[in-house]
Amino acid sequence: MKGFSSRAIHSGSMKKDAHGALRMPLYENVAFEFENARAIQFAFEGRSLGHSYTRISNPTVEDLEQRVRLLTDARGVVAVSSGMAAITEVVLVLAEAGANIISHKYLFGNTYSLFEHTLKPWGLAVNYLDLTETQSLEKAINEKTRAIFLESITNPQLQVLDIERIAKVAAAANIPVVLDGTVTTPYLFRSRDFGVAIEVLSSTKYMSGGATTVGGLIIDNGNQDWGKCPRLQQAAQKYGPYALLAHLRREVHRNLGACMAPHNAYQQSLGLETLALRIDRSCENTLAVARFLTERREVKTVNYPGLEASPYHRLAKDQFGGKFGGILTFTLTDQKECFKFIDSLALVRRATNINDNKTLILHPASTIFCEYTEEEKKALGVPSNMLRLAVGIEDLDDIIDDLKQGLEAL
Amino acid sequence: MIITVNGETQTWEGAELTVADLLMRNKVDKPEMVSVQINGNFVDKKDYDSKKVTANDEVDFLYFVGGGKAS
Repeated sequence: MKGFSSRAIHSGSMKKDAHGALRMPLYENVAFEFENARAIQFAFEGRSLGHSYTRISNPTVEDLEQRVRLLTDARGVVAVSSGMAAITEVVLVLAEAGANIISHKYLFGNTYSLFEHTLKPWGLAVNYLDLTETQSLEKAINEKTRAIFLESITNPQLQVLDIERIAKVAAAANIPVVLDGTVTTPYLFRSRDFGVAIEVLSSTKYMSGGATTVGGLIIDNGNQDWGKCPRLQQAAQKYGPYALLAHLRREVHRNLGACMAPHNAYQQSLGLETLALRIDRSCENTLAVARFLTERREVKTVNYPGLEASPYHRLAKDQFGGKFGGILTFTLTDQKECFKFIDSLALVRRATNINDNKTLILHPASTIFCEYTEEEKKALGVPSNMLRLAVGIEDLDDIIDDLKQGLEAL
Repeated sequence: MIITVNGETQTWEGAELTVADLLMRNKVDKPEMVSVQINGNFVDKKDYDSKKVTANDEVDFLYFVGGGKAS
């Protein structure tokens, strides 16, 4: 099987089910019994494929992990409770107090908050750079640098970076690139082929099947020598290429307890099977909506990498296979007008999420970025007259009719 | 040939034994998900059919899915 959807539908880790179930059942339990003491010992040591306790592993969660692993040709996948948990676990595995990571200057608001407000007091330094050029990156890497962090398409700035170019600079210094691929997913972007060492995702978004459940994924692409990463050197001596996965499974993931609930894994496995269909529709709708907004006099600017006028169009086209994701932003006159527009919408929902089946609208400056100063918002590329539209998979005419009546009400 | 597999002594007679043979003879659960260590060194999955197991080798089958201490 070569096709993404075929593999998403037919792959998995399921053993022959006692009842011949065609789908991995939902194992919504906590503990697993063993036939004898030796069998428990082997499961704890990782010498047998046994689940002992759902916080650490579970058959339904494992099925999702294996499906994603087979889709991405990765070394291994760890499913966690959310996308933020995925980022947290990866940073805790790779870095320590006194170390630094380098990040692109534009980040999802909660990721920025994690770095600045949660991890900084524990001694982690984050060096924010403009990674649209790599000269400053080469200069910024030092002996304390543990990772380079970026997003495949920044949210909500919608900037696209030359990921392969950044990965080459990182590889020369043996620094892993950690990419948040939430808005592209492995369907639009095979991060492994572009030199990314670890992909993290909020599977809550596209992958969950339309915002059914919260979840996150950590994908070890299998292309990094963990023995050259200071925090994993000891694990690499024992576990070789599996050092990252072993360190996650046997320490950080286990100890943090940010496990994916089996129910969520079940829903997300269902979502994975229709991922390609939904992304295709979402991307088609988003491009059409972006073109519609571009023609409207009420709209000052439209930002979407799918528009040929976007400075990131060519790069996005090359990296993401001719599709550009399901998010766009546009500007009106001011925040007051943005609020009036939001309140006039009927079909489009007022909610903070992206890549739902429903089209969602949000005013980022007053919501996700509300805790930041005006200077920080400016630095983070979030002006007060900007709206974010996460376009769903409804019928295009209905989405456009709603936006049209909203604009006419201004 | 005497080898140690997951801490237990095993005796195999006859022809040469590859990692793939050993996985099959031990009826290893979900072999596509197992990682194999011989004398502390991991064997690349693509070499399972060609890598020979020799006398006195210490072989470990390891999974990075479950495992680890729980409450």
